[in-house]
Amino acid sequence: MKRNGTPSTNGKGVQLTMTLDGEKVAFTRGETVYEVAERHQKEIPTLCYDPRLEPFGGCRLCIVELEGARNPVASCTMKAEPGMRVRTRTAALEVQRRILMEMVASENRDTDVDPMHGYASQEMAELLDRYDARTGRFEGALSGESRPDDDNPFIKRDYENCISCYRCVRVCAEQEGDYAISVMNRGFHTQITTEFGGLLKDSACTFCGQCIQTCPTGALGDLKALANKDVPGETETTRTICPYCGVGCTVDVMTRGEKIVGVLPAMDGPANEGALCVKGQFAFDFVGHPDRLATPFIREEKSGQLRPASWDEALDFAAGKLRKVVKDHGRRAIYGIASGRAPHEAAYMMQRFIRAGLGTNHIDNCSRA
Amino acid sequence: MSNPLADMDKPDVIFCIGTNMTECHPVAATRLKRALARGAKMIVADPRRIGLAEIADVHLPLRVGSDVSLLLAMAHVIAREGLMDQAFIDARTTQGEDFMEHVAQYTPEWAAEICECDPADIEKAALLYGGADRGAIYYTVGITEHICGVDNVQSLCNLALMTGNLGREGTGVNPMRGQNNIQGAGDAGALPNNYPGFQAVTVPAHQEKFHEAYGRKVDLATGMTKVTALDLCGDGIHAMIINGENTLVTDPDRHHCEHALKSLDCLVVIDIFMTDTAKVADVVFPATAWAETDGVCTNTERRVQRLRAAVPPPGEAKPDWWIVSRLAQRMGWKGFEFESAKEVFNELCSLSPLYAGLDWDRIDRGEYQWPVPTRDHPGTPRLHEEGFENGRGIFKMLEYRDPEETLSDEYPMWLTTGRRLPQYHTRTQTGRSGGIDYLLSEETLEVHPDDIARLGLVDGGWAELSNPRGCLHVKVRATAKSPKGTVFASFAFEDVPVNVLTGGGYDPVTQTAALKACPVALKPVGPPLALGQVGVGARGF
Amino acid sequence: MAEPGNDTLVEHWKDEPAPLLPLLHAFHERDGYLSEEALRAVSRGLRIPIADLFGTVTFYHHFSRDAAGLDRPRVCNGPVCSMRGAEVLLASLRAAGHDPMTMPCPGRCDEPVPVIHRGTVLTGRTAGTLVSGPSPLPPVPPDGVEECVFAGIRAPGRPTLAGYRSQGGYEALEQAVTGMTPAEVVDVIDASGLAGRGGAGFPTGRKWRAVADAPGEPKTIVCNADEGEPGCFKDRVLMDHDPHGTIEGMALAAYATGAVRGFIYLRYEYPETCDILEGAIAAAAAAGLLGDGILGTDFRFDLMVRRGAGAYICGEETSLLNSLEGGHPFPRNRPPFPVTHGYENLPTVVNNVETLASAPPILVHGAEWYRGLGRADHAGTKVISLSGDIARPGNYEVPIGLPLRELLHGWAGGPPGGRAVQAVTMAGLSGGFLAGADLDVTLDEPSIRSKGSFLGAGGIMVFDDSRDMIRVTRESMEFFAEESCGKCFPCRIGTQRLVERLEGQGPRAVDAWVDEVVDLNEVMKKTSACGLGQAAPLLTESLIRYFPDRVRAHVEKG
Repeated sequence: MKRNGTPSTNGKGVQLTMTLDGEKVAFTRGETVYEVAERHQKEIPTLCYDPRLEPFGGCRLCIVELEGARNPVASCTMKAEPGMRVRTRTAALEVQRRILMEMVASENRDTDVDPMHGYASQEMAELLDRYDARTGRFEGALSGESRPDDDNPFIKRDYENCISCYRCVRVCAEQEGDYAISVMNRGFHTQITTEFGGLLKDSACTFCGQCIQTCPTGALGDLKALANKDVPGETETTRTICPYCGVGCTVDVMTRGEKIVGVLPAMDGPANEGALCVKGQFAFDFVGHPDRLATPFIREEKSGQLRPASWDEALDFAAGKLRKVVKDHGRRAIYGIASGRAPHEAAYMMQRFIRAGLGTNHIDNCSRA
Repeated sequence: MSNPLADMDKPDVIFCIGTNMTECHPVAATRLKRALARGAKMIVADPRRIGLAEIADVHLPLRVGSDVSLLLAMAHVIAREGLMDQAFIDARTTQGEDFMEHVAQYTPEWAAEICECDPADIEKAALLYGGADRGAIYYTVGITEHICGVDNVQSLCNLALMTGNLGREGTGVNPMRGQNNIQGAGDAGALPNNYPGFQAVTVPAHQEKFHEAYGRKVDLATGMTKVTALDLCGDGIHAMIINGENTLVTDPDRHHCEHALKSLDCLVVIDIFMTDTAKVADVVFPATAWAETDGVCTNTERRVQRLRAAVPPPGEAKPDWWIVSRLAQRMGWKGFEFESAKEVFNELCSLSPLYAGLDWDRIDRGEYQWPVPTRDHPGTPRLHEEGFENGRGIFKMLEYRDPEETLSDEYPMWLTTGRRLPQYHTRTQTGRSGGIDYLLSEETLEVHPDDIARLGLVDGGWAELSNPRGCLHVKVRATAKSPKGTVFASFAFEDVPVNVLTGGGYDPVTQTAALKACPVALKPVGPPLALGQVGVGARGF
Repeated sequence: MAEPGNDTLVEHWKDEPAPLLPLLHAFHERDGYLSEEALRAVSRGLRIPIADLFGTVTFYHHFSRDAAGLDRPRVCNGPVCSMRGAEVLLASLRAAGHDPMTMPCPGRCDEPVPVIHRGTVLTGRTAGTLVSGPSPLPPVPPDGVEECVFAGIRAPGRPTLAGYRSQGGYEALEQAVTGMTPAEVVDVIDASGLAGRGGAGFPTGRKWRAVADAPGEPKTIVCNADEGEPGCFKDRVLMDHDPHGTIEGMALAAYATGAVRGFIYLRYEYPETCDILEGAIAAAAAAGLLGDGILGTDFRFDLMVRRGAGAYICGEETSLLNSLEGGHPFPRNRPPFPVTHGYENLPTVVNNVETLASAPPILVHGAEWYRGLGRADHAGTKVISLSGDIARPGNYEVPIGLPLRELLHGWAGGPPGGRAVQAVTMAGLSGGFLAGADLDVTLDEPSIRSKGSFLGAGGIMVFDDSRDMIRVTRESMEFFAEESCGKCFPCRIGTQRLVERLEGQGPRAVDAWVDEVVDLNEVMKKTSACGLGQAAPLLTESLIRYFPDRVRAHVEKG
């Protein structure tokens, strides 16, 4: 995220200002007109903009009227300058935006997709509603060739719904640094592709899912979440931290009823700022796996086998065994190993057990492995 | 990490050593890639041509376990060329002069004999790092999982101290922690030498503080490490409580571990799956998993963040803290009547100076990086800005030591181990998540094509990997990612339990196992009769 | 001699300036196509991600990804050649056992129909009659008309260094570097009123001054020789027959701005021109007119040619810069402009060939002389490439302000066979059509812009009263659709939708059809990111304006 700082001055202590829809507003050097307008809730429409990426200027929906300019200018790429006079929502602009939305709608097979496709998947549909642009005008060829041959289990590549905003290509390069996908051909025949048009798994793709989450039309979709699209119930999200490595990415876990149906990256997560990797994005369904332990187990003396037990029985069984060890070998004979995968409370309680219960320091965690 | 993750796109020169970050910490690696796109330079020291090496300006393919020699030679070049930050050395360190004298003998040519890197590349790397305004070092267990792990880290500190690359934006000595809460486990006091908040158990004042808090006096002596405890199973240690660790698979020398755990009178395991370790336990308690548990974790940049439950746990699974506190109650102990994770965490905050300014509600948005000593403290994204905790930074006069086991005619190849991007640890989680196997469904041993030819192996065929601790069969993959004479496998797949082979010693200070350098023999074999066959090697010679 | 290996080629180019295009051409010519192995070698050598490189290669029309693709003859099917039998030629090539492919206008409209086969341009109407030869010289202007860039072009030996110098060539450069400050050179150009002759018409003196004043080194002069506009072939004749004129102009620009390196970005379709330019550069360098210590001073300027690979958009200056840098040739967002953030984000002059070639005569004869070449209040001259239904097609350097009808009928003999002019295009295709009373314009921007068109790069195609204007418009729009880069929505979708409507798709009622086309025209003109998308709808706009009955018939015939 960039530049939401305090307005800057021109070096002589005078605040930089421009005029936005007739109102004088302050801005920071380097801010774009779009960013200034966003701060003032102008709700300028756009389809190719992702605040994490370099402005691209492709969709042209964010055009504004700039005094002195012959044509409207794209606000996302135009830096604010002192004294600029900008109008963000004139009748002419709204007509142009509506026509642009009608044009975009005309190149896609679907204008409405299931929200399980991804974080940004409703952006186009919302703008079509806002501009009442489902008119069917400009009918013609559809652009983009879908890739049903790509058998990867994570990323749906349904380019018949692609509008060539290149957010996927740009997020892959600028945010992820993987450069796995690019744009091939020109004009109406542009197509998102890997090297030599192959499958994602044969490319530099790491399946981080960032392309899915920035796609505004559902041309790219989260196949794991989509597999759950018919799970009954409203989708709720719960903010938590990814369970894998030590980077600590913030995620929003999507649930319906008692089932995890998908994961969304948290764009405001302090460690990841919207980024995730293949594990954080897709490796969540161990949680509800049938192999999960659902009851305590204790080892039967006679058979030597583990068998399910109630909590009461298992806790007493364990406490009895531990008390016997203390009796036979002393309190220093018990050792505790805490987990680097469980929360603080687990590790804290384990060391408390050893220290407050046994009075020893025979406690460690798994970091030496 | 001394510096925040947000600093990772700010250095001029990045020095990554022993860290396969694009696979093990992919999201952190994206920040480095952004720094490179902005024009930063990168040095990567790693025996293998890992992903980072592909995009580096200098790749130093050092022989496994030779890091100290390389780092001494880099210090030598920096000193020789006068690239030190003398003001920093004068103001904030001690023994700088001794150190410059010490490294005068360790030329790149000397190091090249040991670490097998081109002396010109060592020179180039040293000039890059030494010449940086903002030089940042990143490392992971490729540095620490050696008998000289502490020496390796201290060598890196020496480089940072001599160039003043600490306590500023885009600098630092930054370990990347491998597990979501490995930092937090230490913060919370699950260490034999420290109470919560890294308060040493040997300090009487600390003992007194916890005596008061817990109502019981704790030994003033440091506890034993896990490694020692495993060695003493059945001989001093007779019971273990293991929470969420698949010790049998992740620890070195599996046969030794198995023997150790089986010789206990009582093994209690708390886990979410029936792991190999759980299978040998006397009692197994079912824990709630991620997304079923409210709690707190601390990431690699010391950021304290909240975990939240989104779904109910299966059956009767319970939070780990609940299980341990209830077990304590059954032991007849008082003071374990906790009813919520919040209560547990707030007690921790009350006892840890690093968390003194925090509580459950304050960390709701994950804004704080410890230390947060008081309520009005904003947290500490960057350590050492004002000074070092213990006064001055001390240069350490280190010398290179060979690994405990070195190559021989019988065991002429190095085995080194690690992770791969799609799978995590022993696959207890990723192996049960749909689709991940599409990306990586089996383990292969990465072998340089020349070694394949020399040893009569076949790309895609099978090989036997052995040493005195054991042997296993594994499919071979030809790749120049491995240097000649070194092979690589991950420990993710149970049918390729590479940790039957590892275990050649421990760091004398931390007792961290030398998992990264292990001499082995390698020969072709036919395809397996059944998957997962594991021979048992004779122990000793 | 053995073919050079992958590593040899990569090693040769990787540390050269702007190495991607020449390296790709080296592989393309060695192998006859760009193999996967070749692209992977380039990707590693130049550290360009392979997916990006693959995508970028597919952007260019003339890079073949299929084995032996380079051997396929490329036949022009532009609007003029289409009238002159491109289909017949294609059929005859197929009959002769070739596998021809079409290409957009390769700038040989005075001699249809051109074919490119490997490194040679051939012209003719059938496979058996194709011949190669130098591009035609410009016709001699009527008596009393003084020329600027063409003044010496017809002299024998002019393309050689000796021939050029014998007519006073390089005296402007000598005069500048030995007797003038850079600022004085800029002042003369400024005072002459010279403006960009590639179409945009930006005052050249102001551009040079901006680069001279901009912070950042090294600075660069880029000669835009990517003459991709259909119906424009003026830069080709200047470079083929007077290469030193352009080189001297670039050296003057470099001296005036403090630039030390220069590139001629030459379109793929001019292979012979590449040889001519490289020969001329070598001769100039050997004579101390380029390189270090030019003319015994400490002025230094290195110049090299970089060939494009077939992409109209690369004539747009920021696309050109991206192409030169080895990136995907999408236009850049402006501001910032190339004068401050050009090649490698450093100050850069991008000037058209004709603009640069105008500089030496202006410096020799003075600003006043140049201003005086125009008619009425207009300063200077403009080369017009005239083609189509006209008795004497070719390049004419006209005084700015010359009436269009005087050029068509007085200078070039009017349409053959006594036919009438139905319409002409302006700015190649980019200005759309002028027809009827609007043919009474003078050849200057104010006059032509008042009719909703523009003079631009100066290509004029003539269509007599036998031509089907729907077909001409469709073929022209197909060109823009084919060449639309795909970056901005209005152009990418709009050109496609206009083609479809000119093909007979879209609404079947005239009012609805016109509504859609007018909306597309307006949005493309107002919101497209660069000139291509802003100009393409002038075709359909002028079609509706001048030929409403043809439009009605087209829509209603179904």
